[in-house]
Amino acid sequence: MSAKSLSKGKGRVKKKLSGSKSYLLNWSKTFRGRLTIICLIGLCLIPLLTQNRYYLGIFITAMIFSIFAASWDFLAGFTGQVSFGQAIFFGISGYITSYFIRYLYLPWWASLLIGSLVGVAFGLLIGIPALRLKGPYLGLATMVLGLIMFYTFLNVKFEPWLGGSEGISKIPQISRNAVETYYIHLIFMITSFLILIWIGKSKMGTVFKSIRDDDIGAEASGINLTKYKLIAFMISAFFAGIAGGLFAMHNRGVNPGVFQPLYSFYAIVMASLGGIATISGSALGSYFFWFAAELFSEWPDVSVFIFAIILILVIRFAEHGILKPVLERLKDIWDLVLGK
Amino acid sequence: MGVILEVKNLTKKYGGLTAVNDFSFEIKRGEFIGLIGPNGAGKTTVFNLISGFQRPNSGTIRFDGKDITGMAPYKIVNLGVARTFQLVRSFKLLTLLDNISVSCLSSRGKKVAKGHGVDEYASTILASVGLVDKARIPPIILPHGDLRKLQIGKALGTNPQLLLLDEPFSGLSHEEQDVITDLIIKLHDDGVTVFMTGHVLRELMHLVPRVIAMHQGKFIMDGTPQEVAKNKIVLEAYLGKGEVFA
Repeated sequence: MSAKSLSKGKGRVKKKLSGSKSYLLNWSKTFRGRLTIICLIGLCLIPLLTQNRYYLGIFITAMIFSIFAASWDFLAGFTGQVSFGQAIFFGISGYITSYFIRYLYLPWWASLLIGSLVGVAFGLLIGIPALRLKGPYLGLATMVLGLIMFYTFLNVKFEPWLGGSEGISKIPQISRNAVETYYIHLIFMITSFLILIWIGKSKMGTVFKSIRDDDIGAEASGINLTKYKLIAFMISAFFAGIAGGLFAMHNRGVNPGVFQPLYSFYAIVMASLGGIATISGSALGSYFFWFAAELFSEWPDVSVFIFAIILILVIRFAEHGILKPVLERLKDIWDLVLGK
Repeated sequence: MGVILEVKNLTKKYGGLTAVNDFSFEIKRGEFIGLIGPNGAGKTTVFNLISGFQRPNSGTIRFDGKDITGMAPYKIVNLGVARTFQLVRSFKLLTLLDNISVSCLSSRGKKVAKGHGVDEYASTILASVGLVDKARIPPIILPHGDLRKLQIGKALGTNPQLLLLDEPFSGLSHEEQDVITDLIIKLHDDGVTVFMTGHVLRELMHLVPRVIAMHQGKFIMDGTPQEVAKNKIVLEAYLGKGEVFA
């Protein structure tokens, strides 16, 4: 581009871009922004309604899995890398966090950070070979790696080092106070979501999405695919690791079960329920999932059956997740109430 | 004016088929040059080999004196060789502005975009290909002519020295062809070396001062459009052997 043609376009461009500064203010005035703020205030007020450890625990589990599902959504929805082994990062961080708290007596937050960083290292380790694979092959490879982790940690021969089927137990919870624990998890969820959404809207997010839409085109645009895919894997692994560490502390222990493909599927189901590439949809999916699980908790066998049916219905009637249709319905009601 | 691209003895085989056969040519800096040949002559393969999307079986490609044979495509782009595709490619769910921003975020694009800011630089490019009014819409709803412009814009985002245009006119109406033609001429005037393919002779012949002709993967001749149009082998390649009535 010559300097001449650059200066020509300038005047026209500035008008279009001036709106981005007051973005947050505008957002808070939109329906979506208002709804988000109402939901957040609602979540902050929950402990006023109940201080019951059990009920708050349902919310906490839903928040932990919101982060986990969002980490999968980031990788799959933004970068187009569909991983079926998200539980690897979740599990390894759970183990490392538990280990540092239980045996090295580190404070929970330091252990959680170390656990998540080890998750990032695993993201790098798995990312490097997985990058050459596309689509279903990447899904298969990550799922098999998850299974390898599961059986390695379950193996009797490794029991002295990895804890065998018992794993690591008797970890203290974040706080004895259920309300305090609730708020700590809420802060973790909100922060994680803000960071993930912010990355999605950043320039790096644009590059991620370009890889998702057309990887050959992205390469022809001079984008180093390996580098960006690795970064995406690492960011995703970090947040899956945060979720895994929190999950281990919430359950006061960790066992090889966390490496099961089931946990990877949880993330996928929740993110898909909410809507892929939305990040916030993961929270909706996760809350929906855990509240429904609570409703059917009396009949644990039936609940799996009902979930499968719900998932099939969602895929059939709302393939882009329930977030968008729910938002649209709510907006209609909102407009009706305000008399528009 | 030095040589910007030097291709020597390039050969690419797919199993028993030789798509490009011992192909050699040179392009000088600032040239405006066409690559012609009937369908299946190997034009796109030559572009794929130059841009690194395929590796040649033998032969070398030098850009600006540097050996780029078999280099990763994004590295070649960042040296200053951008390309478009015969079938339009776009980032379907991103806005046009973001489509261009991606190229501006490549390591070569960034260097130019730095002074202006990526968004502003991308808008400038959008303006120069005539799409600035559509900056905020995704490409899925664009007509084909606009997609061709977007292709060129995406290539420009990487600030190329050499631009490879693969069939930039295919699927366009005459009016749309004229718009793209003007755009390409403007780019060449701005100092970009342009190398383009086409299988319909008429479009290219009026545009470029020099043409390379190929047929069945082989180099046939190199010259002005008039010389090439008179060449017996070229005519045979297009029309088949026998009497030429043209």
